[in-house]
This record gives sequence, C-alpha cells and structure tokens, in this order.
Amino acid sequence: MNQESEWEPKILGFLCRWCSYAGADLAGTSRKKYPANIRIIKIPCSGRIDPLLIIKALRLGFDGVLVSGCHPGDCHYQTGNYRARRRIAITKKFLEYIGMEPERLQASWVSASEGGKFADVVTDITRDLKEISPNRLFTDERDGTKAAE
Amino acid sequence: MNETEQKLRNEARTLLEQGRVDCIIGYETGSLKFTTTPLITKDKDDTDRLVINPFVVNNLSVFLSDVDGKAGIVAKGCDSRSIVSLIQDQQVAREDVVIIGVPCSGVIDLDKIEKLIGKDRDELDDIAWDGDKAVVTIGGAKKEFPAKEVLMDDCLSCDMPAPKEYDILLEEVGPLVCDNELSRSRIKELEEMSPEQRWEFWENEFSRCIRCYACRQVCPACFCKRCFVEETEPQWISPLPKWQDNLIFQAVRMIHVAGRCTDCGECQRACPVNIPLRSLSKKMEEIVDELFQYKAGTDKDTPPLMAAYESEEAEDFIR
Repeated sequence: MNQESEWEPKILGFLCRWCSYAGADLAGTSRKKYPANIRIIKIPCSGRIDPLLIIKALRLGFDGVLVSGCHPGDCHYQTGNYRARRRIAITKKFLEYIGMEPERLQASWVSASEGGKFADVVTDITRDLKEISPNRLFTDERDGTKAAE
Repeated sequence: MNETEQKLRNEARTLLEQGRVDCIIGYETGSLKFTTTPLITKDKDDTDRLVINPFVVNNLSVFLSDVDGKAGIVAKGCDSRSIVSLIQDQQVAREDVVIIGVPCSGVIDLDKIEKLIGKDRDELDDIAWDGDKAVVTIGGAKKEFPAKEVLMDDCLSCDMPAPKEYDILLEEVGPLVCDNELSRSRIKELEEMSPEQRWEFWENEFSRCIRCYACRQVCPACFCKRCFVEETEPQWISPLPKWQDNLIFQAVRMIHVAGRCTDCGECQRACPVNIPLRSLSKKMEEIVDELFQYKAGTDKDTPPLMAAYESEEAEDFIR
C-alpha cells in the first residue's frame, strides 16, 4: 500500500431500507459489477441521517460517505428524503467551506428497481475518490504526519 | 438615566404589578465598567435597576426556557428574532412571553474602542451614541468615531435593529449603519484561501478549544436537553482533548442550529479562547439564505427550516 495507485478508498454507504438497499440487493442478484470499496449500513429512511453520522464516519477514517434514498415523491414515509435533501445540502456546503473536498460527501436517489444505477453510482464515486488523496482530515493520522514533518 | 430607560422601568413595573408576567428578563449595570449583566427578577422594585445602553450585549432569549410562567423580556431586533425562532420550534409559546421591544443603535465593541484609542477601558469616562457616531470621553476631552469603526461585527450586518415581533415597543429606531462587506471580511478572507489552507486555519483555531461549551450554553438555538457531545452510547466525540473532536463538536453544532441561528454573535463573545465562531455561523446563515431563501426568526407562523421542504429545490449534488 505504499504506492498511491494501489490506494483503495473506503466508502461508507447509508442506504434507505425501502429503495436504495433493495437497489443494492438487486445489483447483487443481477450480478452487476461494482467496486468492493463500499461498506453498507441499512437505515430506515434517508431522513434518519443526522449530519453527525456523516462527520463521524469521516472522523473514523472513511474516505467518502454516500447517502442514498428513494427518489423524491417515493419516500415510504412520504417526506423523509425531502428532509434529508435539505440537511445534506447544507452539510455539504458547510464542510466545503471549512476545507473538505466536496467529493467526500455524496448523495443519490436509487430506487429498488435501479440495481444498475446503484452499481454505476458506486463505480463513479470510487473513481472520483481515487483522484483525491486519502482522507486525513479528521483522522488521527493527520497529527502523525504533522509530527513526522 | 435616559428617557427610554425610564419608560422601560415603568413598563416592566406595570407588567409585574398587573400580573401580566411572572418575571422580567432584562439588563442591569454590570460589575465592570461599560458592561451589563442579565437581570431576571420577580420583584417589582428590582425594575428600577433595568438599563438600556450601547453595551446591552447578551441575547436574553436563552433564559426563556429557564423561567417559570410568563416572562416579560427586553428584546433588541436580533433578540426578537431568536425569540421568534424559539416560538417556531415550539420551545416557547407566544402567549407566555411579553416582548418589550427596545430601540437599538448597535452594540459597541469595547475591544475596538480600546484599539482605536490605545487605552484600557478603565481609563475612559464615558461612551455614548450621538446619531451615527460614538462619542468617547476621556478626562474631559471628547473623541468621535463613526459607527462602522466601533460596532460589533454582527451589528454591522444587522438589517433588523427594531423588533418586528413585540407586545410593547418603547421607541422607534432608524436603520443602523450597515456594512455587510465589513461584517463578513473574515469570511471573505477564508473563501479566498485554498481548501487545504482553510482546513489548516480551522485546525489551528480548534486546537485551542477547551470544550467548555460556553458557546452552546449562551446559544438560544441550542436548546436540546441532552447534547450529542455528552452521549456515551455511542460516544460521538472522544473525551480526549483532540482538535478533531473539538472541530466536530462545533461543525455539528453549527449544522444543527442552521435555520435557527440568527447570527447574534453570542458564541464568539462567550469563547474564552477567541475562536472566530461567527465566521462559521454567519457563513451558515448565508448558505441557508442562498439555498432556501430563508432567514431565521423573521416569521413566527412559518415552520422551522429543517422541518419543512419544497418538492423542487437544490439537488444538483445528488446523483
């Protein structure tokens, strides 16, 4: 893992149980290929996402976070994804302002029938994250590299 | 004592005497020169200690949740926004609060005065507003400074010096001398930096944070009974004094109060290690305005920002 080219980003995916998680399931059962960089947590609804969860994942060393839910209008609980959208919008802008790369926080709408789209989303995110360096923003590693300099 | 102060004392006394409120929340003279301190009282004789001057800096709405019964509260324009925001969030019932609107020409930043004059505040005799100029008296001599040079940074971007929501309004007030550009000059500096420089800037600032949580305690928008930083299962931020966790605390706090924060600047003033928190809160206010055209605490009948949505709105970042 010395060479930058061998570096594989670690991505945490928060997938809503009604759409995106089923979509990811479909990607699997349809044997779609997508990078194994994503680790998935099933959440009841994208509206469950507190920006704290996103930031905590970055603090733990994930290189990127994906929040994925139902398309607008399709939320199982009617409005959860609309609320998530507002929250993610401000979180993304705010984290960019304090100096985080915008690629690290990703969001998508993936329905239960969009296995292909889920595979595409994960492929694209992984590619984008590979272009930026590993996440050292919130991690303890940052202090280590600083001390070594 | 000036005319407004007398009016305020009379109104407060009447409110208590008539039983329209159970207590009064206002300002009294502080123990240090040119300071005021909050006065919360149920005794009508205490109302004679109420003051209004260019140093009434605290945002008193933070005390509303601490008092029992109906409260009469002294509010400048910015404080009234915080009160409205609390009403929107159903933390305070409109009928449980009597808002005494006071005119505000802006709060004077003593640090700026000290810098301009080069003397300690204890050596000054008097500071007062004269129109849009601050007049400082030192040993009989008078010096005048334009408002722009001595106002608190958050007052510089104030567009609501008079409360819009009130029960009693003591006096009409003209518009403040505003200079939004000057008020956000620090934010502009940050925006011009590269992302790495910005991150380093905040790393440096938050290395000083001692996590005293004073910023949270003075914040009227931070009304959670239990804050995520004190949760232990799961433990969101490490108890070890690490800047990363200090930054997470503040970043998440800022995101949580988005749409409630009125940029009153209390967090920055409360900070014992002078972290420029307004550069975060003001920016958040701008983000909220840009994305959702929403200004916190301006309309008590609209739902809070994060409890509402439009079916069509900013989602260009979503795949």
